[in-house]
Amino acid sequence: MKFEEILKNEIYRKVIKFFHENPHSIDTGRGVATWTHEDIDKVRTALKKLAGMGILNAHDTSSTTAYCYTRDKKMISMVEKLLNE
Amino acid sequence: MDKANHKTYENELFKRLANSPALREHESVFSQYFKKPIWWMVQKLDKPLPITIKDVELHCSEYCAQEKKKEKCLGELYEALNKSKRSKKAEIFSCSLGLGGFSYPVVQGKKIYGYIVMCHAEKDIPQFIIDMFIRFVDTLVREIQKELELSKLYEAIRPRAIALSTVHTIHRLLTSTLELEELLPRIARLSLQVVRSNRCSIKLVDKKKRVLLPKTTVDLRKKSVKLKKVKVGMYAPGKAFKMGKVIMGRDYMAVPLIDTDVIGVITLYDKVDGTPFGAFDKEIMSTLGEQAVIAITNAMLYREQKRMTEGAIKSLTSILDIQGPGMHKPRAPFIKIALETGKIFRLSQEELKSLEYAYLLHDAGKAILPESILVKSSKLTRNEYRLIRELPIKGADIIRPLKTLRASVPMILHQRERFDGKGYPDKLKGNRIPLGARIISATSAFEAMLLKRSYQTRRSIPRAIAEIKRNSGTQFDPKVVDAFLKILSRRHIKSILRKAGYEI
Repeated sequence: MKFEEILKNEIYRKVIKFFHENPHSIDTGRGVATWTHEDIDKVRTALKKLAGMGILNAHDTSSTTAYCYTRDKKMISMVEKLLNE
Repeated sequence: MDKANHKTYENELFKRLANSPALREHESVFSQYFKKPIWWMVQKLDKPLPITIKDVELHCSEYCAQEKKKEKCLGELYEALNKSKRSKKAEIFSCSLGLGGFSYPVVQGKKIYGYIVMCHAEKDIPQFIIDMFIRFVDTLVREIQKELELSKLYEAIRPRAIALSTVHTIHRLLTSTLELEELLPRIARLSLQVVRSNRCSIKLVDKKKRVLLPKTTVDLRKKSVKLKKVKVGMYAPGKAFKMGKVIMGRDYMAVPLIDTDVIGVITLYDKVDGTPFGAFDKEIMSTLGEQAVIAITNAMLYREQKRMTEGAIKSLTSILDIQGPGMHKPRAPFIKIALETGKIFRLSQEELKSLEYAYLLHDAGKAILPESILVKSSKLTRNEYRLIRELPIKGADIIRPLKTLRASVPMILHQRERFDGKGYPDKLKGNRIPLGARIISATSAFEAMLLKRSYQTRRSIPRAIAEIKRNSGTQFDPKVVDAFLKILSRRHIKSILRKAGYEI
């Protein structure tokens, strides 16, 4: 799925926007669902997908997975541009 | 609230009031009484009113067609507004056309936030109508003020709540491992993420030598990294250690790890966006540092405990070896085979460690057997056989006091059970036998067949394998046998057995 298409999905857009506005944040699916006011299962699916695309980084442990924003400058610029459109 | 924020607050309050659907509704209700009056709002009277007021033009177009009359109309409105500004009360007025109106200043305390004006009313405006309107607007303004306060609170709290959630998540990530080798790089990566920097180095102190030893360095630019020792007191990390406080420069920040003493330093370099390290970075890293030091201390204690356990096991096997050399020291290849069999069943690292300890000590019970029984080549007496059957219980009893070997005890106790339930000591059957015990059972039987004992000749590997297969489903768990045979077929295992002197 292309990145531009991903952003058309409301939940994906909210998740990306959350991390873009809070780049220092590291949080689990539950936390991100709280900040984006979205269903936790849908948010978890989105987080996994976005980590697979490299927009987020995943930190796995036995009990949970935490996510944080990419550090790739090109990707961040692209996100900035697409969010402003 | 400073001036700029206050202005924003006033503007926002006025804007919400002007756009309020509730206000529109009330105006519509009042309008029915007065027959098509004109409602409008203005925030400030500091500047002159706009030359054109669209509704005024629309409704009073005949009158206002002349520029002078339009100016007179606006002047009357302006006068009414100023009067209400001075009195801070609703002021009723009549315009040149003989139409009524009122001007109401939206006042909260001493502050006027704007003016609501009704004009072009074709009836007289009774006071009770004004009073009702005033009460309604006051209630509406108070609600809007509450909304604004809540919004402000939300805006202030939200970033803090997000930061707190980050701290909590980091805590979970740090406490999910007790292995120092896994923990330190994790701390480094998390540090890089929270302050968005490119490089992180973690150094722990060698107190005797008064140096900070590099333990982990992560550089996301993937430059080759030279790990350097730093003397206490030298450079940023050494100074942070010596002074027990954060040392910051434009492109670096050294955070001491303080338990009861300073145990090390986390140093970060070069923020991704090129900006200098600041107060927020210091605050978040200090919090992360506090969590990191607890995690590192726990990991070091765990490592020490593991070393003590392994030391105790070595001592124990050495003591047991005095009873009969080689009898209590399973050879390394068989431990390897048992562990690799365990991996096929996806045992965790902790479970594999317990299996390893259990295999090392599974014959511990033989330490209290008379040697005569151990070396006897003829048939055992009833009593001697009873003692043999007690071996797993005795072995478990020897190990039981060591708390760190707790998970190994059931594996040692039940290693002589049979899959068909005809074993000992508890006649456990099938999957009720702990998996570790089932693995030890097959592996130790295989090992025993390859060794020359007083009561048996040494067998070749193919014959031993055949014997294991023959007893699959009765003595041994068939799934364990399958896994075990798979391991034996691996090239590196064959190589290990060959090097240990066994013919494949």
